[in-house]
Amino acid sequence: MGSPKDSGPSEITRRELLGRVGSGLLILTVSTPWGELTPAEARAKGASFKNLTAEEGALLEELGDVLLPGAGEAGVAHYVDDQLSRRDPLLFLKYMEYPASHLEFYRQGLAALERLSQLRHGGPFARASQEQKVAAIRELSQKNPEGWNGPPAPLLYFVVRNDAVDVYYGGEEGFARLQIPYMPHLPPPADER
Amino acid sequence: MSAEKVDVVIVGSGASGSLLAAKLAQAGKKVLVLEAGPERKASDLFSSQLWARRLKWSGPRVESVGKHPINVVFGHGWGTGGSALHHYACWFRLHREDFEMKSRFGLGLDWPISYDDLRPFYDRIQKEVGVSGDAEKEVWRPPGDPYPMPPLQIFEQGRVIARGFEKLGLRTAPLPMAINSVEYHGRAPCAYEGWCDAGCPLLALANPLAVYLSQARDAGAGLAHHAYVTRVLTNQNGDRATAVEFFDARGERRVQEARLVILASSALQNPRLLLNSAGPQHSAGLANSSGLVGKFMMTHAAGNVFGLFKEKTENYRGVSGGQLVSQENYAKDPRQGYLGSSQWLIANALKPNDLLGIANARPDLFGNALHQFLATASQHLATMTFVGENLPSRENQLTLSNRKDRSGFPLAHITHEFSSDDLKCFEAGMQQGKAIMKAAGAYETWSNGPVSMHDLGGTIMGKDAATSVVNSYGQTHEVSNLFVAGPGIFATSGAVNPTFTIHAVTLRATDYVLAHWSSLS
Repeated sequence: MGSPKDSGPSEITRRELLGRVGSGLLILTVSTPWGELTPAEARAKGASFKNLTAEEGALLEELGDVLLPGAGEAGVAHYVDDQLSRRDPLLFLKYMEYPASHLEFYRQGLAALERLSQLRHGGPFARASQEQKVAAIRELSQKNPEGWNGPPAPLLYFVVRNDAVDVYYGGEEGFARLQIPYMPHLPPPADER
Repeated sequence: MSAEKVDVVIVGSGASGSLLAAKLAQAGKKVLVLEAGPERKASDLFSSQLWARRLKWSGPRVESVGKHPINVVFGHGWGTGGSALHHYACWFRLHREDFEMKSRFGLGLDWPISYDDLRPFYDRIQKEVGVSGDAEKEVWRPPGDPYPMPPLQIFEQGRVIARGFEKLGLRTAPLPMAINSVEYHGRAPCAYEGWCDAGCPLLALANPLAVYLSQARDAGAGLAHHAYVTRVLTNQNGDRATAVEFFDARGERRVQEARLVILASSALQNPRLLLNSAGPQHSAGLANSSGLVGKFMMTHAAGNVFGLFKEKTENYRGVSGGQLVSQENYAKDPRQGYLGSSQWLIANALKPNDLLGIANARPDLFGNALHQFLATASQHLATMTFVGENLPSRENQLTLSNRKDRSGFPLAHITHEFSSDDLKCFEAGMQQGKAIMKAAGAYETWSNGPVSMHDLGGTIMGKDAATSVVNSYGQTHEVSNLFVAGPGIFATSGAVNPTFTIHAVTLRATDYVLAHWSSLS
């Protein structure tokens, strides 16, 4: 997992994060057998995915981490997977008016990325070098690579990039990383279903 | 299953629906508002760009196609208050020339009313609701009463960009906002936390919960949620509306009878409802003998210009809509090489994430470059939003799709393309915007767009049934007790945010309905 060099001095400790679950300041939680946890906590505890397969979850984490280093460790895959179970998901994909199932968007997009990786360098995306991963993402951010069979590649890039930003910078701890005040007027609940 | 007959049934609880409900209930009418989405309270308006997504359109899919498709979900609401619950409260008056496009310039359409017809209603509304601003500094503003509240505060981002306007000899003024700068009618002043897009739980911003929906409930109006209206029902002759058909939370079909039916859902759903209400006497859709239901769909051509500055801009402070306005380019002058108005909404409060967040100011960046950009831009970015006119075109239209919703009714299918005038106007704006940022001292500038912002038209007003769907009160030409409310009845888009005009036009309609109640009902 990459770690951003510019995340600022205001890293929030795990204890502080857990404390905020109770006070409702976390914004993002994942439902796990251990209760509502942050996406990072769910990942650290090895919580199973509920919608994605383990392989799909791992690939989404890899992709998110190349798009925004640190997003994998922040639990982007667990966040997306958990939201896919929710009655009224908060996923960025909602804005994109994607005409088919949101789960299939991720599944088919990740499968297409894996096929692209096999085609380009004969192995899975996870085992590609950083340069190869970056090259693949640059390619799919522009247009559908030749032979691409999935949701529009630039859409996959844009959506997962925004998922990564949401999970890494979209809450109070993310604002703190950027050294800007969150200023919640009405803090979101931690465990709303 | 039919419920007790009411005087007025209103479809939609947004800006126009809530105002109509308040005024008609206060006049003693039995009013029921049917809202397709869930109930929202002020205590549901959480400060988060993720939670803000709950407030955005979650109803039946709208198929949006064309060279410049209209973005549906972000700009529309779902639940109590509709899109007005998360609107940014930039409240402008249309200009005189916006009402007279065809007669003055030979392009677009004319409204059947003038600015002078609407002015008293703008004045009444701004006093009732509360608008902050400085009318004298808005040198472009058509005549009207001064605002009842002083302007909102200006922060560093606004001051930085204003410097660029000033250097180029362009004027700015405080943005007129339906947000309290001081306590007004018992509502608190703004806290400048920048969460307007997620709804204002403080009710400093005049969303429907803050003003008219609250008044409507106090006056006894009913509000039913999860009431998804699918058709307007008529008598056998097809010349009187008798009821609306809707599906409740359990998916059961119900019929609500009413003496007067008002469609106040949205510019996208009102024409869909009329088209889906086709019957033996109106096979092309209700109130559609002109064939104009769904035609002349409009939006605004929007884009942002960005600048990075060495100094800190405090872009997290303020309100989502911006701090300052400039309408130096509003006057329509075909000698420019295009016909169209535009304005700048200057210094929008920013958050790191979401569609309009800092990260999407540079969607091309990823990896550590994205981290570095966010670290810099969250401290040093300034932005302003261009709002450009969209000339009405019959080809920009809403029709019924071959696909259907869960209740078996065809979905809306919208085709949209900006005209060459719209695009020239937009491009001139982007060039000017970057020059302004440079003059302000930006070391890097760029822009994006055009994208759609606001939806208007589709059930346009006019003088007769051959050239329009409704009259200036929103009354359909063919069914006298059926009205349409909201921006869908605008005949031109202008280049200003529409919510103030929605209120003014709707207030004028409520006066008309009450004055003609005996003949309408």
